[in-house]
Amino acid sequence: MDVRDILELDSNQPNDFVTKESLMNDGKKKKIKKPDPAVKRPEGMHRELWGLLHSDSRYQTDAAPIVPSDTKQGYKQMKARIGSSKVRPWKWMPFTNPARKDGAIFYHWGRVADEGKDYPFARFNKTVDIPTFSDLEYQQHLHDDKWTRQETEHLFDLCKRFEIRFVVVHDRWDRERYKAYSIEDLKERYYNICNILAKVRAPQGSEPKIKAFDAEHERRRKLQLTKLFERTPEQVEEEEYLIGELKKIELRKKEREKKQQDLQKLITAADSNADNRKADRKTTKKKLQAKELKIKDGGAIANPEPGGIKFPDFKASGTSLRSQRMKLPATIGQKKTKAIEQVLEELGLEFNPMPTEEIVTSFNSLRQDIVLLYELKLAMATCQYEMQTLKHRHDQLIANRSGGSVTHSQFKASSLDSFIEDIIGSSSVEVSYGGSSPSKRKFLVDTIDVVGTSTTPTKKRKAAIEQSNILKKIKQKM
Amino acid sequence: MTTQTQDSAGRQKGVVVVKPVVYGNIARYFGKKREEDGHTHQWTVYVKPFNNEDMSAYVKKINFKLHDSYPNPNRVVTKPPYEVTETGWGEFEIIIKVYFNDPQERPVTIYHLLKLFQSETDVMLGKKSLVVEYYDEMVFQDPTVTMMSMLANTSSLGVSSHKHETDFDEKKERTINKISNAHGKIRYEIDQMNEKLKKSKDAIAKMKKEIAKLEEGVIVDGDF
Repeated sequence: MDVRDILELDSNQPNDFVTKESLMNDGKKKKIKKPDPAVKRPEGMHRELWGLLHSDSRYQTDAAPIVPSDTKQGYKQMKARIGSSKVRPWKWMPFTNPARKDGAIFYHWGRVADEGKDYPFARFNKTVDIPTFSDLEYQQHLHDDKWTRQETEHLFDLCKRFEIRFVVVHDRWDRERYKAYSIEDLKERYYNICNILAKVRAPQGSEPKIKAFDAEHERRRKLQLTKLFERTPEQVEEEEYLIGELKKIELRKKEREKKQQDLQKLITAADSNADNRKADRKTTKKKLQAKELKIKDGGAIANPEPGGIKFPDFKASGTSLRSQRMKLPATIGQKKTKAIEQVLEELGLEFNPMPTEEIVTSFNSLRQDIVLLYELKLAMATCQYEMQTLKHRHDQLIANRSGGSVTHSQFKASSLDSFIEDIIGSSSVEVSYGGSSPSKRKFLVDTIDVVGTSTTPTKKRKAAIEQSNILKKIKQKM
Repeated sequence: MTTQTQDSAGRQKGVVVVKPVVYGNIARYFGKKREEDGHTHQWTVYVKPFNNEDMSAYVKKINFKLHDSYPNPNRVVTKPPYEVTETGWGEFEIIIKVYFNDPQERPVTIYHLLKLFQSETDVMLGKKSLVVEYYDEMVFQDPTVTMMSMLANTSSLGVSSHKHETDFDEKKERTINKISNAHGKIRYEIDQMNEKLKKSKDAIAKMKKEIAKLEEGVIVDGDF
């Protein structure tokens, strides 16, 4: 908040800054020399360069000047021309300063030409209008329980003396005779009185200019600044640390949410795969319609992308080879391509089978499902990681507790625990829930390398431990 | 045929004509290196219709682009049989470009890697000649009217049923079966994986709940 705010002045109002001209040319009009109609070559510019520029500019007379049109100024820094004109005489002379009220006479060196003129710097002596009030006005409008009449008058005296420089007013406040006030109190009283007087004195119907000052806001602002200033280095450090950790946690949360969404998408895709299979068995129209309805009603993604490969449509007129339709699009990544190849090899299939229409269609759909499987496996890997993290956290919490309730909850959670252990431990598809014997069957999924999540289990476990420790610390601090 | 409308470019919209072809090469080993140029094999690269018909009814010419080391490597064949016979010592990619009688239809390009050397088992069996051929289909999407009539009026060649070196019908059956088997397996695994994922998701949710309870210090009373 500065003076402009208080006076509610537009900050973009042009400031009437005193310029050199207004200061020094007392009434003298500056002689503006008209540039010659034929632009002269600036001094110091090479003739060849000037020739190029000038012949150009002759044709585009309205174009912005490429060269400075003030040829006197020159192309290069000019040498000062000393001694070319007569010396203007100086004189030791008396002067009065109109800003002074005592009429004191001082002497200074001045040009003879300026003799008898006003002291030029007097104009900087700006004075502030401090309103005054009569006894009647004070009794009628200005009474305040916190302030005495004497205090108010003292305040206005000081304000006049120091031209409402409130820091000085506050400093010179007569604390022996009067109650001590804060700067905000002083300001509040002063501006309130100014506003009341403006209102009272304003002629009927006109809106007086009100000076805005929010004392409460100012007090709070200063309090905050003080608090901020008085923090100990330890507190600053801790704050920074906690903010950093909070950011990290939020980032992780976002990541997790995104993964959850992706997972939901995948599951929807896989579900539609299962539905398709059912539909294949009994291709009744009713069922298909029911399926479509179900997808729409479920609010799930209406059109789950089948497996993530989009083979280009060959709808354009013209000739083509059927085998072109089996080409994997370039957008598919190397990892996916590799996964497809690994599975195809395991299945004993050619990478480029004989391209009849039927084979191309089924082969493409097969590869889409392979990619879907690959993505499911990726999702599974992240799930495993998350479970490990959670399990570790869980175990830690259990260990921290003591007493009967622990065994109770452990017992209750044990069925879930065994499932989690299964998932963390296994990489193949089949999980032996409900005591079904694990089969010896080899799974195609196992031939896929889920590269990118290749951190070893022990590393993961370590990372999980670290993470949970930090979380615990934050919890304590908060 | 589905709805046939003719657009401004004179194309029969909605019409698709498929012409299966077989391309590849045969190669025969001389038994030794030829003295004068070091060549070891005689080979023939060819494009044949899968069904025995006269391709010249709609094919204007076929251009076989050989390796640059051959004298005039662009060999143009304008009538059947569409083949080029040469001798050589090395394998390389032959670019086969099929031009059609209607210049409005763009030529089709086939890439074939010339094969000369047999696998070890074939050598063991004492086979002298080698056949490598592939099946593909030329697809004419919305052909022009002129092209369409040319494609329709191909006369069959010879009465005897056409025989290829490779039994493509049998191969087709085998491939279809293999793919559908594979697809079944993949789908089964997708279902399994999906189930497992769902279970994991639930388990994670439960774990989170439990942890939240523990963190709040409330005695766990949930029913797991």
